[in-house]
Amino acid sequence: MGQIVEVLVAGLLLGAVYGLVALGLNLVFGVVRVVNFAQGELVTLAMYATYWLYAHYGINAYLAVLLVVPALFVLGVLLHRLVLAPLQDEPMMQIFATFGLVILIQNLLLGITQGQALSIDWPFARTVIAFAGVNVNVARLVVFAALTAITVGLHLFLRDTMPGRAIRAVIQDRRAARAMGINVDRVLLLTVGAGAGLAGIAGALLAPIFTLSPAIGGNFILAAFAVVVLGGLGSLWGAYIGGLLVGVVEACAGFYIDPALRQAIWFAIFIAVLILRPAGLLGQVGAEEVGFRGQQ
Amino acid sequence: MDSNEADATVLTTPAPARQVLESGARAAAKFTAGMALALLPLPLALADSYWLDIVVVTYLMAGLAGAWNIIGGFAGQFSLGHGVFFGIGAYTAAILFTDAGMSPWFGMPIGMVLATAVALLISWPTFRLRGPFFAIATMAFNQVAFVLVNYLDWPTNGPRGILIPFQAGLASMIFQQRWRYGVLTFLYLLLVTGIALLLRRSRLGYALLAVREDEEAARAAGIDVLGAKLRGMAISAALTAAGGTLFAMYLRFIDPPTVFSLPDIGVRFALLALIGGIGTLPGPVLGAALIVPVENFLRAHITTDWPGADLVVLGAVMVLAARFLRRGIAGALADGVRALGRRRQ
Repeated sequence: MGQIVEVLVAGLLLGAVYGLVALGLNLVFGVVRVVNFAQGELVTLAMYATYWLYAHYGINAYLAVLLVVPALFVLGVLLHRLVLAPLQDEPMMQIFATFGLVILIQNLLLGITQGQALSIDWPFARTVIAFAGVNVNVARLVVFAALTAITVGLHLFLRDTMPGRAIRAVIQDRRAARAMGINVDRVLLLTVGAGAGLAGIAGALLAPIFTLSPAIGGNFILAAFAVVVLGGLGSLWGAYIGGLLVGVVEACAGFYIDPALRQAIWFAIFIAVLILRPAGLLGQVGAEEVGFRGQQ
Repeated sequence: MDSNEADATVLTTPAPARQVLESGARAAAKFTAGMALALLPLPLALADSYWLDIVVVTYLMAGLAGAWNIIGGFAGQFSLGHGVFFGIGAYTAAILFTDAGMSPWFGMPIGMVLATAVALLISWPTFRLRGPFFAIATMAFNQVAFVLVNYLDWPTNGPRGILIPFQAGLASMIFQQRWRYGVLTFLYLLLVTGIALLLRRSRLGYALLAVREDEEAARAAGIDVLGAKLRGMAISAALTAAGGTLFAMYLRFIDPPTVFSLPDIGVRFALLALIGGIGTLPGPVLGAALIVPVENFLRAHITTDWPGADLVVLGAVMVLAARFLRRGIAGALADGVRALGRRRQ
């Protein structure tokens, strides 16, 4: 019994990692209707930035959020201006361009670090607390708390504030939103910036947990795709629940079947969901069939 | 390509059919000329094994990009999972040859049949998805294949991969003289491009184009959309598997990271087609002819000090091509020719 609980907790904490990475991906998809393959690489960049701040200036990873997030926001704005916005109506070219960024950023980091794996040696992140008999790593608990806080915060922001309403209006009907006096282009721009900012938070919080390698974002992004597809593309709570589900499934599969097959199992789930209910658990039915057409 | 000419004639006299649809003889002549041009580098590279390797890989990659182009370009179905079919072709021939001593000439068609079956199985459900959803799903299949092949000790030998013993001979598709690989891969390119040409001018080819442009309209026009896509995918997968066999017999070593690598295999086919001109016949050949030598150069000269430099360039090229060269080299050339023609008038 204790074992099951431990596996479940490990799964939930792992799922929080995936959920956190998936948040930005999902926000950008939901509002801008662009699948940003490079979202994982934004997380990687944030992780390296956090490492750099730690290694050169001794700034602790959680304080680094204050610097990393604005930097990533600017990067996101540039990404939108230079790549995504001009390719707004070209889904195929979006895939190409963002996949090109994946290859570009991964190998740039490979060249800069000369393939050396880096890690932040921060005792706090390794602290383990016993929580009702189950050992929990503090840094992972922080990720879980952050994911929950951000999801609730975004939910309230979208529901109760004027900018949040503007974003929802843009999601529903761009043309009507424009007619209502909403600056649609600015909403899209800021959303991609915010998506990158979320990648910044994810990167800073994950940097003390994982060993940094240039391809690490690629591992996260595949999981994040599974999360987003499972929960429903564009659905905030879908990403939250989907993230935790994927984490739990991966932990259980790793524990009860074979660790080597964990990935294959969530890919199988992912494909099954794509086939059986492409809109995901909480997504809008039909979104995947419409693709990106008819949004203009 | 000739739409402007055709439009101009429509104003005065009704355009004869052959001006809208290129005549068979003209297409065949262009094909022959293009392929003769493509063959030229082979004798030139005979003396130098470095260049010979580049020529062989270029032919192979051009053929593979051409195979991808059938479903990705003609039909607009953006598959990132062609590594699966490539892997089936490579592994089937390699396993049958090393374990059962079967000639790759038999292994190749078996791999093609298997790849077609898997392609139909994968595609039937995923073809409901559109745009990025289709791309993500096919990419997921590629990763599943990677994990499974990596995991299975039998028959794929897991992460250790398969080393194919050197037994020179036509029957074993392994040659002492490397130029023979050049001939083999050139014939492959010829086959793929020839099939693509015939397909492009066939009823199925037009159905695929119609599906790419507007699925709803194609369906309304009475086209069996799913059937057309499935047939296009079957042809594309079979040809990709054949290329996989050639790859395995040329390198004589395959392992999961090589075969299922997204930047090197699965996405590479699409990239070459994009650079050359997505959906065009010469596009994949032009793309491979440009990218493969450049990459070899980068790998040989820069990667020693700067690991991954070749892929940095490749990534940048992908972003820039998506932004500024959407119709590829073939499209840019066509625009250039048209601009010249206009100036002459």
